Amino acid sequence: MSLTLENVNFTYPGTTSGVFDINLSIGDGELLAVIGSSGSGKTTLLKLIAGFETADRGRILLGSDDITQLPVRNRQLGVVFQTYALFPHMTAWQNVAYPLKIRKVPSETRERKAVEALERVGLQGFENRMPQTLSGGQQQRVALARALVFAPRALLLDEPLSALDASLRGSMRDEIQRLQREFSISTVHITHDQEEALSMADRVAVMEAGRLVQVATPRELYDHPATRSVAAFVGEANLWDGKTVAHDTVELPFGRLTTEPHGLSTGQPVTVLVRPENIGIGKATDGINALTGAVVRDRFLGAIRRFDLSVGPSLVLGQTGIRGPIDSINIRPEHVRLLPIQP
Amino acid sequence: MRFVTGLYLVYLCIPIILLFVGAFGETWTNTLLPTGFTLEWFLELWDDGSFRRAFIVSLEVVTATCIFCTLLAVPLAYALYRSASKKIMAAARIVFLLPIAAPPLVLAFGFILVFTSDALPWLNSIWLLIAGHVVLTLPYLLQTLVADMRHLHLDTLEQAAESMGAGFFRQFFDVVVPLLRHSLGSGLIMVAALSIGEFQLSNLISGFLYRPYPVVLLQAFYGSTGFACAATVILLILALLASAGGALAARSASQYRTHRS
Amino acid sequence: MAAPGSLVILFFFVIPLAMVTGEGFANGGSAFQKVLTDPIFWKGLGGSLVIGLTAPTFSLLVGFGVALHLSTLSERMRTSLQFWISLPLTFSGLIVAYGFILAYGRSGFVTLGLAEVGVDPSRFSGFLYSPVGLAFAYSYYLIPRVVLILLPVLVNFDRAQIRAAQSLGSHPARAVIDILIPQIMPSAVNAFCLVSAVAIGAYGTALALVGTQVNILPLLLYSRISDTGTDFPSAAALSVILLTLCTLILAAGELFTLRRDRNVPVA
Repeated sequence: MSLTLENVNFTYPGTTSGVFDINLSIGDGELLAVIGSSGSGKTTLLKLIAGFETADRGRILLGSDDITQLPVRNRQLGVVFQTYALFPHMTAWQNVAYPLKIRKVPSETRERKAVEALERVGLQGFENRMPQTLSGGQQQRVALARALVFAPRALLLDEPLSALDASLRGSMRDEIQRLQREFSISTVHITHDQEEALSMADRVAVMEAGRLVQVATPRELYDHPATRSVAAFVGEANLWDGKTVAHDTVELPFGRLTTEPHGLSTGQPVTVLVRPENIGIGKATDGINALTGAVVRDRFLGAIRRFDLSVGPSLVLGQTGIRGPIDSINIRPEHVRLLPIQP
Repeated sequence: MRFVTGLYLVYLCIPIILLFVGAFGETWTNTLLPTGFTLEWFLELWDDGSFRRAFIVSLEVVTATCIFCTLLAVPLAYALYRSASKKIMAAARIVFLLPIAAPPLVLAFGFILVFTSDALPWLNSIWLLIAGHVVLTLPYLLQTLVADMRHLHLDTLEQAAESMGAGFFRQFFDVVVPLLRHSLGSGLIMVAALSIGEFQLSNLISGFLYRPYPVVLLQAFYGSTGFACAATVILLILALLASAGGALAARSASQYRTHRS
Repeated sequence: MAAPGSLVILFFFVIPLAMVTGEGFANGGSAFQKVLTDPIFWKGLGGSLVIGLTAPTFSLLVGFGVALHLSTLSERMRTSLQFWISLPLTFSGLIVAYGFILAYGRSGFVTLGLAEVGVDPSRFSGFLYSPVGLAFAYSYYLIPRVVLILLPVLVNFDRAQIRAAQSLGSHPARAVIDILIPQIMPSAVNAFCLVSAVAIGAYGTALALVGTQVNILPLLLYSRISDTGTDFPSAAALSVILLTLCTLILAAGELFTLRRDRNVPVA
């Protein structure tokens, strides 16, 4: 079922922090990741959707159903908590069966459904285990099964992978994505890990200081970040402040770069973004945006190599598979992105 | 350091062992250890009407104290845990420390002042004795319960239950109560142990009709050694049982605690 | 939900204490004047302060040694030893009193045993009936409290810190003084104050051991309350002084811990 937030505002009583003017809609079966640094308001947003906090203004709609004021227990949303919040006095299957018990599902059906749900997350044979005897990844799966077993109207994931070892995270990412597709359930996934968001989500919402800065597909977000901070938060980036000097030229501390026609007036201050993988190695045949400098840092990462090239007063971060010496680089005009300058 | 622990254990065990030895010894005057073996002291104790009455009073007081403590502490601990307010947490900390900050002797004097007035002539009644035991032990139970709630991250568990559709009563009876059973058990054993051995308050506020066991026990100290030992051993055995029970309950309580970062 | 419990605490704890305080300050505090000019009061205060210093000092020294030893043991060993060490926490003060009479009294086991090697029994047992001796008896149930406070701190202490200090050139003993001691200091001070307040306020064990023959404040107060010709105004004044003393000591310990908590980042 689709989930819509209309002009949602919330301030924690007695503070100035909260979330402001949130307009967001998550399509049926869509996985939306919400990213932001800690304190950006992403967890508050989840609490508002789940109902642990109530919005001061605005509406939250599930399909066409206004749930803004609805108590948590009547919202029918599956929530996976950061700490999983498994009930320590119940076995794995009792945990999963609990939401069904509340919905007065007869006990045989309940048990069958719970066991099925555990099978779907790959935990057959673990039905009678107590949560504290399960590994982190297994607890995570029980939490997922429990959140999905009662066919909730949407799924909310609160940093579900942050308590896991790095080695497990990759496979759990795939697992969550698989289940989400299988159940075709609208999902809001809160995370501070941009890589996790880019790799899993249909769309990504970036939050900063309680506000949504950009909502876009992972590719769009990476290629066309709305602001300097989004560009810096998502992936690696070269960011230089400068100003436009012609319809296709910007002036930067280390010289001028040719861009595609940008449509901005001359003399406008801008921030220029060039992704490291778009730094070409060697002299450009057409001589456009050719720069020379000396490598001041060189990091060999196996398949690729990252280097810092000192060009005039600036550093250019580049990424390449070429192993030989580097003294000149070039940047194609279509790879030079102009962003509004940020104070 | 091992040496310190060893010496300490000797210091710990000497009085306990001597009490048991004395209780079964026939005569013990000015000798290192008693001579002979007898059960006579325990039989004498059994035949002593005032000790039997006192023992029954103690059992009544302990039972009532446990019941009232449970009824008062569970909701109060829950309220303390749920309140995020710093002021209330500070107030709770003060309540936890009250029995130490206010010596039972001073409290007993307060009871004498308040409950001998014409409006509240309750001194010497068993109910006042119970009330005194309740306020002296309640803080310990509260502390145990609040600590356990924090360990269990009870709030997240309740949120999880709520997100699955559980209302307040379901959360309370499906999640809160079963999880707290064990710490309530171990807390109540502590309450019972403190209550049965309580002397400092009871000595001053219990009337002649309702003297609990320890108050009567003090009289025995001025009599024969064997009898005094036997009478003390009864209290000692109850305390040992309480410790063992408490350890078992604490062990079952800890099984629910998972270490979370 | 907090109402019933709070009411009971108010009615049976706060109001009686308030009454005591009110009684103490009735008649413009003349009771205080009477108490403060009584030489017995000053002797009692002296005795109480001796207990309030020796009992926690002795308990802390022994408790720290025991806790340090326990913290090096396996968890299993530690849990079972901890059971034995916590036993006195459930003991009535009377058990301790009579046990100590049997062990260290005039014809006690240890007293007579030491007499064999030439220690004068009456002098030795006289020690038990002095404030310092009482402190020794109180320590029986105070040491477990100290152990329970210090043990978690010592168990959680990361011993790699000591190794790190040594790798930075510190002598092992120096490393303990510079690294371990400051980290357990707040808990140690807290334990000291807590145990001191308990020792100063208690009278049960002392009454059973020595009657009202030793000059300490609680026994003085007890005789003012229970003796014939009870003197309630001066008993109230004494109560207020005892209450203030215990509260101040406890508050000092709490403040010390609070100051530490502020330096520790929230987990």
